[in-house]
Amino acid sequence: MDARPRHLHPPHTTAITSSLAGITTRTNKLISVRPLRARYTPEVGDLVVGRILEVQAKRWRVDVGSVQLAALPLSAINLPGGILRKRTETDELQIRTFFAEGDLLVAEVQQLFGDGAAVLHTRSLKYGKLRNGVFVAVSGMGGGGGVVRSRRQVWTMEGANNAGKMDVILGVNGYVWISKHVETPKEVEQKHMGITNLEENVSATVYSSQNDAIDGDTMREIARLRGVVTALVENGCRVDEDMVVRGYQEAVEMAMLSESGQEDIYLGGERGEQLAAALRGN
Amino acid sequence: MASSQHVLLSPAELSYLHSSLSLTPPIRPDGRSPTQYRPLSAETGILPGTNGSARICFADGTEAIVGVKAEVEKTKRRWDDDAIYSENQPTEGEGQQQPGRDGDNGEESGSSEWVELTVEIPGYRDDDSGTIFLGQMLSEALLADGGFVRKLRINRRFHWRLYLDILLISPPLSYPLPLLSLTTHLALLATRLPKLKSEGDEDPFFDDDWAAAPYLYPRDPSNKQKVVERPPVTLLVMAVGGNIIFDPSKEELAVADVALAVSIGDDASTAQQIQGGDKMDVDSFSHGSGSGRNLKLLSIRTVDPPSRLTPPGVANAANSAYGHAQVVSSAGAGGNSQKMPEARQTESEAVEGVWKPPRGGAKAIVMGALVQKVLIRGGVADEVLDALEGVDTS
Repeated sequence: MDARPRHLHPPHTTAITSSLAGITTRTNKLISVRPLRARYTPEVGDLVVGRILEVQAKRWRVDVGSVQLAALPLSAINLPGGILRKRTETDELQIRTFFAEGDLLVAEVQQLFGDGAAVLHTRSLKYGKLRNGVFVAVSGMGGGGGVVRSRRQVWTMEGANNAGKMDVILGVNGYVWISKHVETPKEVEQKHMGITNLEENVSATVYSSQNDAIDGDTMREIARLRGVVTALVENGCRVDEDMVVRGYQEAVEMAMLSESGQEDIYLGGERGEQLAAALRGN
Repeated sequence: MASSQHVLLSPAELSYLHSSLSLTPPIRPDGRSPTQYRPLSAETGILPGTNGSARICFADGTEAIVGVKAEVEKTKRRWDDDAIYSENQPTEGEGQQQPGRDGDNGEESGSSEWVELTVEIPGYRDDDSGTIFLGQMLSEALLADGGFVRKLRINRRFHWRLYLDILLISPPLSYPLPLLSLTTHLALLATRLPKLKSEGDEDPFFDDDWAAAPYLYPRDPSNKQKVVERPPVTLLVMAVGGNIIFDPSKEELAVADVALAVSIGDDASTAQQIQGGDKMDVDSFSHGSGSGRNLKLLSIRTVDPPSRLTPPGVANAANSAYGHAQVVSSAGAGGNSQKMPEARQTESEAVEGVWKPPRGGAKAIVMGALVQKVLIRGGVADEVLDALEGVDTS
């Protein structure tokens, strides 16, 4: 039986009416609507970027752009001073020294509650507190636009115009983090140390909220990359590694042609449309 | 806290934003130049039931509509009105110096009660201090020089009462003051009042032909698009380090040292300027006549930036979760108490890469520079007014 209100469903017609604004796709007789805007629905294994909203006794509540707040239990983080350390009462008392309200972190969805709320974990050296960069929220899971689940959500790319390397984290939830490249455990290992003290050395910086020194060139390119991501979303393009990398190259070339040269990083309004058009053309 | 709403950013983000905005030239997170406004789309005359209306939509999705409604109201008679009525013309001299009385023959000024301005921000109560502060700032700019209410006078016994309804439709993604001010500006430009047919002090009687209705802000008779005098606009300016930044976004405002709302008026008619000149001492800022516009400073308000309420960052040296310190401190409660003096130290000392909220008031020299930058000829204010002039208000 059709339980929809009368005004949504005109009588004496067999036409199908969508209760959602979005893009329709049709596979034989199956019609599906991808919504223009939707909240993030967590799934186990998703890489997400989140922001701490609440600190409770034994867990944090994290905003991941979902309908509900996600939970990050104290038992699901790497405690400093070695991974395999027992959680103590002191850790509970000092819960704010690990993550405080407002802090950004990258984590993985570990499990889901029955109501759809996610439980996160940061028990890997890849995850933890974010610093040295900028945050941008784009709507995830959108019809056409936004971040889509893809093979690689995290990558490092070379900055143009004397800038250093940049790290990009595309959270599946549509939260994006762009920062100066920090050496990963593997690179550190190759450089100058054995595997034994690796974990301790890397975990040392996990809860730091002090930024490294960043040069102006890198800051400029990070801002350009952020502009690319917002331009992609504003013009309804999907946001994934391929699009962002190509968009960045395009943006660098566009800046070269503009009158103020490389300093010109503005990609709003018409510039963004131009960028999106160039990417679609390729 | 008459300020913009609280934003939640991590100390690392704040520190990054602050250092990138302090560079020369500053690097803004959205790539704009320091004086660049966000791109916007604007239209007028969207509400058929109003005397004038406008809608502005910023590229970031914030949108506002303003409707202006007018009704005729009987002017309250004052205690000394009888004397004037009997003589039928105001007398010079004795007791005429009070405000509202200094107009010359028949050119009396109005009262600020004739304009009722309400601001509505979704998710905020209408008696919220932030909403009231916004409304105050907008009405202050409008009423500052008394020229606006003078336009509302019909005759000695009647006046127009103007209701300005300012609505933000989208959630306040950024501090909405510039958006609301620009929308109000356009709505007032588009406002028309019915043409008066009656004469003198008799009961007002209007022409019912809407096409004949004159604009509240009269147009140049030779060029229908050209407006002689324009309503005020309020610009939001902030300072970070040594840089001055216009139209800051929410994130940028979160690291501001100082934020100012500066209202400016544009006086094309020099006669108007002379008349208002002796009343307002802030007019001393106004630039001399010549080509371009005569920008006139109407009001300044400091906006309490949310940066003062942000959490300070913890330097690595004082961070008990940094490095191997944790192993020591978790061994006993003594380690914890040792941390306390260090934590206090970070509050006072600036460490590179660690966020420290600005403390203390704005320096006079910074305030001066901000105002100077707004009023500079050919500067941002001129650009904004030029852009608004391009909007079709007929």
